[in-house]
Amino acid sequence: MIGKKVASTALSIVLVGALAACSTGKSDSDEKALTIYSGQHKEVTDAVAKDFTKKTGIKVNVREGSSNELAHQVAEEGDHSPADVIFTEETASLVMLSEKGLLAKASDKALHHISKQYEDANGKWVGLLARSRVVAYNPDEVKEQDLPKSVFDFASAKWKEKVAYVPTSGAFTNQISAMIKLYGQDKTKAWLEGLKKYGKSYKNNKIALDAVEKGNVSVALINNYYWDREAKEKGKEHMNSKLHYFGNGDIGDMISLSGAAIVKASEHKKEAQKFLEFATDLKGQQALTEASSQYPVNPKAKTQGMKPFSELHPPKGTLHLGKYSDGKQAIALLQEVGLL
Amino acid sequence: MFTVRKEQQRPKTSLLLLLPILLFLFIACLPLLYILLRAQEVGFKNALSLIFRDRVYELLRHTLLLDFTVTGASMIIGVTTAWCIERTNLWGKRMWNVLITIPFAVPAFISSYSWVSLSPMFEGFFGAFLVLTLYSYPLVHLPVAASLRGMNGSLEEVSHSLGYGRWQTFWRVIFPQLRPALFGGALLIALHTLAEFGALSLLRYDTFTTAIFDQYTMAFNGASAAMLTTVLLFLCLIFISLELYSRGKARYVSVGSGVARPQKPQSLGVFTPFALLGFALLTVLAVGIPLGRLVYWLLRGSSAQFPLTELLTNLGTTLAYGLGGALATLLIALPLVMLSIRARGTLSLLLERVPYFIHSLPGLVIGLTLVFFAVRYVPVLYQTSIVLIIAYVLLYVPLAQSSVRASYEQAPKRIEEVARSLGKGPLAVFFTVTLPLIIPGIGAGMALVTLKVMTELTATLLLRPTGVDTLAIQVWQHTANSEFAAAAPYAALLILISSVPVYVLTMRSFSSKRRGNL
Repeated sequence: MIGKKVASTALSIVLVGALAACSTGKSDSDEKALTIYSGQHKEVTDAVAKDFTKKTGIKVNVREGSSNELAHQVAEEGDHSPADVIFTEETASLVMLSEKGLLAKASDKALHHISKQYEDANGKWVGLLARSRVVAYNPDEVKEQDLPKSVFDFASAKWKEKVAYVPTSGAFTNQISAMIKLYGQDKTKAWLEGLKKYGKSYKNNKIALDAVEKGNVSVALINNYYWDREAKEKGKEHMNSKLHYFGNGDIGDMISLSGAAIVKASEHKKEAQKFLEFATDLKGQQALTEASSQYPVNPKAKTQGMKPFSELHPPKGTLHLGKYSDGKQAIALLQEVGLL
Repeated sequence: MFTVRKEQQRPKTSLLLLLPILLFLFIACLPLLYILLRAQEVGFKNALSLIFRDRVYELLRHTLLLDFTVTGASMIIGVTTAWCIERTNLWGKRMWNVLITIPFAVPAFISSYSWVSLSPMFEGFFGAFLVLTLYSYPLVHLPVAASLRGMNGSLEEVSHSLGYGRWQTFWRVIFPQLRPALFGGALLIALHTLAEFGALSLLRYDTFTTAIFDQYTMAFNGASAAMLTTVLLFLCLIFISLELYSRGKARYVSVGSGVARPQKPQSLGVFTPFALLGFALLTVLAVGIPLGRLVYWLLRGSSAQFPLTELLTNLGTTLAYGLGGALATLLIALPLVMLSIRARGTLSLLLERVPYFIHSLPGLVIGLTLVFFAVRYVPVLYQTSIVLIIAYVLLYVPLAQSSVRASYEQAPKRIEEVARSLGKGPLAVFFTVTLPLIIPGIGAGMALVTLKVMTELTATLLLRPTGVDTLAIQVWQHTANSEFAAAAPYAALLILISSVPVYVLTMRSFSSKRRGNL
């Protein structure tokens, strides 16, 4: 009986301690601290945030998540959103937030660093990084000259079980939106059905790239920076796979943007504007491109080790997708085909 | 509810019991309300077209196949191991008991990565079946072992004396007594499997829960996700009714505890090598592979520096949430159990099942619900630990319930009545008489919920205060980017602290003597 009493006393002490610990687990709400909802890779956001704090003294809290999830969260939060800036992998979620009237206009200062084609026509969001869709291939499995002339050709029996793709990634959806715009619903649907039948779907780009590296598949349809980042870390000579660009304006070489915007509900708009100005300026852009292996949108910033931006041959008319830019049609098509 | 008053005579007590229950019921309605709201946004016709499409049939097939195979295999493994450890002369029983419970401390999303990184052949159904079974069977093993331990051996002796063999005795005498523990564990496994996300996403096996995730992270409106969730809830209803049906009308009460006679372990005879081989195989598969891979990444982790301060901060957060979540969960589970046992009836039975219904909802749905309501109605609480703790309560009440229930059922009502008749107040009776009796169940419940909260991912991701990370979140973020060396220290620490509650669960002093303790 005494043992049990001791046990119950010990238990209560633990419980009270735990509660006390929990109540201190809250983040302190610093007056001037900037809250960024970031769907970008952690190192990328951290890199630019660190330099920003160093320059301006403004503290930054980063909330990590997937881009769409965070955008959804901002929409759900509405007027009460604690977010000041949202930084997403693809622009589709920014377009959606803008359509719902949840974004504030970026200042002219933030917009003037970069060329018009990389920002929203109404100034509601700015592109911070550009990246190219690519084919990562394993030379032991397939020779470069045997790769097709267009990404459309991968959806065929010839490539059965050899092509990795990531139907749930924002970049893929974006490419589908562009395909619908350029080639229409039917051709895009046929391509998706072919991929579903013959390709191998993966949950994220990094895992798809790993599958190519290990030779489990011959090619993966991914974004350039997954490969470029790994090559930078390991050294190009240690990579089992290589990058292939169609180089003929094919939609398989499509360029898309990762961008940021100021949330309308923000109570720190001045600081948020400063952040966008910093992120589009030379210093911020250099930090962003170095941490991400994506292309800067400010022409003054330089890339290293990546295929130069000027040598890319992306298709025309895919940076702004007009009525397809919010990705709704693409998602409806993905659902129809059964990839979602 | 009137029965409560009648039986206890003092309305004060029943109010104390009812208050947390009503509070819980209110919160438990929120996810359902949220799904309804989302569903009616799309309209009835659209909703139907979102449910009755080929993709949903495909997901239904996948989900059911996985759920039945995992639950079935876990039941077979769990009963076999429990029987070997409790009832036979197997060599090294204590060691095996600890070894085969360890998988419980290894989150499924960590072990699934070990398997996938070994070979891509573990992707898809086979890998999903393997990983989830190896992760789940302790949920059957632990309560069944406790149940076997507490069983009155004289019944079996009677059976033998009446001419039944070992096999017949097992099926006709032992098995019926095991049913509450066995099917209780099986129900939890079935519901967990329905709601599993992390592991299945890495293993490339799509179920309703992974699809709900995809819908949500891809499609901007949650309507389609909400429709898939309704199908999931429907499946959950089926499982809960199956379990209720399996319990039948039988009550498992015995008057007086009788004399606990040590049981003579049965000799395994020629089966000994097979049993040892089986245990060794299970240990290698369930413990060796995941931990082995982890050690490999830890040693290879040149690419990642050792982030000591971050590790310690995350450890603190993880522990605080784990214990805080467990405490809050118990505060709800205890009244629910007390009411359902002391005031048996259809209403209290249904009431007791409500948490199980919610239990099948993926953490994502719970998270979204709380975001929705907190932002709109109590913005002060939004993105604070309080809302997160509420999410844990919604997610894990059944785990605490089943543990507490097991020991509360043995606390004879008569002792409480005697104490009351001697002039003690109801609260005093609870703290001086009831609580000491059910401490084992509370301990087991605390351990189990702490374990689950510490490894919870999705609700934590959505609801945590900005800038706060737990160990599980760190592991997930790194593994999602395939940075295993970087994930390894966090994973190792998570497994290490998770093994504390797991050890508590295997400790004999904390397992009830008569009934299953999970």
